[in-house]
Amino acid sequence: MDEDDEDFLETGGMKLTWPGESLTSSQDYMRGHGTYVDKEEVVASVSGLVERVNKLITVRAVRTRYNPEVGDLVVGRITEVQPRRWKVDGNSRQDAVLMLSSVNLPGGVQRRKLESDELQMRTFFEEGDLLVAEVQAFFGDGTMSLHTRSLSYGKLRNGQLVTVPPILVRRLKSHFISLPCGVDLILGLNGYIWVSKHVKENEREGEEAFDAEAVYSNQNDDIDDSTRMAISRVTNLIIILASRSIPLTDTILLDAYDWSLEQEGDVKDLLHEDASDALVTTILAKG
Amino acid sequence: MRPPSPSIPEKEFLFSALKQGLRLDGREFFETRPVTLTFGPELGWVECSLGQTRVLAQVDAKMIKPPPERPFEGVISIHSEISPMASSEFELGRPSEEEVTITRMLDKVIRRSDVVDKESLCILAGQRVWHLRLNVHCLSDSGNLLDCACLAGIVALKHFRRPDVEVIGEEVTVHHPTSRAPIPLSLHHNLYCFTFAFFSDTSIHPVLDPNHLEQRLNGGLISIALNAHRELCVVQKSGGVPLEPADVLRIVNVAVQKAKDLDVIVESRLREDWEGRKVEVR
Amino acid sequence: MSADRLLLTLSDSSDSSDGHSRIEILNTGGYRSDGRRQYELRTISIDLSPQGSGADGSASLTHGLTQVNVCVFGPREAKMRSQTYHDRANVNIEVAIAAFSASERRKRGRGDKRILELSQTLKSTFEPVIQTSLYPRSQIDIYIQVLQQDGGLLQACVNATTLALANAGIPTYDFVCAVTGGVHSTSPLLDLTLLEENDLPNVTVAVMPRSGKITLVSMETRLHVDRFEEIFRLAGEAGKVIHREMRKAVKDRTEQLVASMQSVGRPSTGADVGDNEY
Repeated sequence: MDEDDEDFLETGGMKLTWPGESLTSSQDYMRGHGTYVDKEEVVASVSGLVERVNKLITVRAVRTRYNPEVGDLVVGRITEVQPRRWKVDGNSRQDAVLMLSSVNLPGGVQRRKLESDELQMRTFFEEGDLLVAEVQAFFGDGTMSLHTRSLSYGKLRNGQLVTVPPILVRRLKSHFISLPCGVDLILGLNGYIWVSKHVKENEREGEEAFDAEAVYSNQNDDIDDSTRMAISRVTNLIIILASRSIPLTDTILLDAYDWSLEQEGDVKDLLHEDASDALVTTILAKG
Repeated sequence: MRPPSPSIPEKEFLFSALKQGLRLDGREFFETRPVTLTFGPELGWVECSLGQTRVLAQVDAKMIKPPPERPFEGVISIHSEISPMASSEFELGRPSEEEVTITRMLDKVIRRSDVVDKESLCILAGQRVWHLRLNVHCLSDSGNLLDCACLAGIVALKHFRRPDVEVIGEEVTVHHPTSRAPIPLSLHHNLYCFTFAFFSDTSIHPVLDPNHLEQRLNGGLISIALNAHRELCVVQKSGGVPLEPADVLRIVNVAVQKAKDLDVIVESRLREDWEGRKVEVR
Repeated sequence: MSADRLLLTLSDSSDSSDGHSRIEILNTGGYRSDGRRQYELRTISIDLSPQGSGADGSASLTHGLTQVNVCVFGPREAKMRSQTYHDRANVNIEVAIAAFSASERRKRGRGDKRILELSQTLKSTFEPVIQTSLYPRSQIDIYIQVLQQDGGLLQACVNATTLALANAGIPTYDFVCAVTGGVHSTSPLLDLTLLEENDLPNVTVAVMPRSGKITLVSMETRLHVDRFEEIFRLAGEAGKVIHREMRKAVKDRTEQLVASMQSVGRPSTGADVGDNEY
């Protein structure tokens, strides 16, 4: 058994494993995530792929909760308002924390925090609000600390939320994707995806004086029918791709969208078995 | 409310003592605390104590009409309760985990394993049978309430005497204890329960009859109920640290030996008490 | 000889319902009432596909006619702060037995002591098996739904929970594989149906295959010590057979997922180098 391991590890092939499976001797290799050491052996603790980087062995689980890294873009929902902070549900092991000092306050980006801000926290974010933020740091027990200090982050409106397994969202250069049909996508690395009406570039830049009304408003814009259809179409496509465990990237989504435009039938027909199968085969063929 | 866990130095002290083969109260690993059985003025009333752990059990009987599906058998019901006086951890009304364990174990030991011959409780088939009620109250918790409660229950059943009944045709006459001596219950066998605690550190051997601290810090418990004739009735290892199969069998064999010893003690105490009562009645 | 066997099947044990059928437990040809041999296990079918409830992991397992569904959520934010541990995750198991699962319809409330005991047993079985120290202040919820009972309830619950945990990507030290064993006069039997469970002394044993250690032993019927030893050892070995089936199911599912995830090419925007390792 050990010899096989050595061979595999040399050639760098793909090896699947499951909990309780011995991987290799712990004398030669260091153990990483997804493994533990028992007596003299490194043993897998999750089911997934074995990965080796030099002398480090890890097992990457095939399905798991979102594991945050600093700098990740996430979409979250406010669950609680606490003194000087908000608790955000980010599809992770614990709720994330958004400090009051990490959000943009109206009246200018560099404004000092006042006491009245602490008392008016709900005018910024309330329970149930959706927002897009970036992971700033971690607390001691692994809780994420978020911030929305860029103008492209903040409260979300004009769209709908889709949840997919977090592993399907790969790290990309930009998680803000604009599809040609007038639909914007925000791919949160935690598996929450926001599909919304397209916001023009110049509108998003914002003015010098930070307009709180606009950024923290709860008012949706008027959206015309064709955009709404497009949003629904994209949402359905995401659901289908996620159910077949196909990773989500901009190219795949664009291909899928083009393909779906060529199909007859309504947007809702996409969710039927045969349409889904056809879509998946097309995507796999191209990829 | 979860009770505060012992401090780290306390834990380390216990574990290092156990590793050296010493228990904090000086007992051997397979030694139980001294068993004390105190019988009350009435028959079927017994207080059992294992060291500082005390449980009170009481049996009484009344006649009822049997349920239609079982006209030839008596009915046994068990009511067990841990009162908050046993320890501040217990609340009245909400069954804690331990209470569920004790209730279930008493159920298995006394009802499901046919300790009492239910057919002997039948007075007039289809119309009158004895309904035995066993009440178990846990008075003081210093570890291992389970063994103490089971012992109290069994001894109470052995101690109890039901009134003598005479059946002539369809008429049932119940004789008062003063006129005719009451009759003991017909028990198939005596069951004794032994609980062993083992710890996360597998180099520490399991201990029998854990006291309060050992029970708080255990990595798993295994309870064995058996009679003095090498017959097991209940073996319950509910999770906890995994053990080698050989260790489990070793524990079972220790329990077998202890059952024989305990049986001797119980029988002699019951005999003593009964002698005492005879003298009083005269 | 056959008269003895008939007597054994008619003997009363505990609160089983009336009407013992006069079916022989083990006939002279060595076949049991459902056509199996002495040491033969029932057919196992495992379904690890998502059950659509948003669970992190789920499994549906059948041992013959006994069917159990398990959904695992977590690790996630704990619902009640008072239940959290500062240094590890809290494991919460809830069992629900469908009223239609047994041959007679019987609704069991939440507070039913047997169900509570089952939940407690499962919780103390899995708490040391899951690596809870990796997730401080979180909660792992395991919900078990029993759909059909034909003997081996504890066995099915343990096996299904193990599969669901592996499916959810929650790190465990090993699989936990459970099987029931019983004895009919002097012949040991494995994987008992309800009929056999009601009549014979039986024990459920759960083993962790890698080390061979025993995590769970549950026996509620009278059995002589020597017989117990025999059945106990046998059931421990049988656990390893069940392990093979479970491992295969997990492996197949993992293969399937990995294949679909790696089937499409790298995205155009690159920057995949930072793909993190979980």
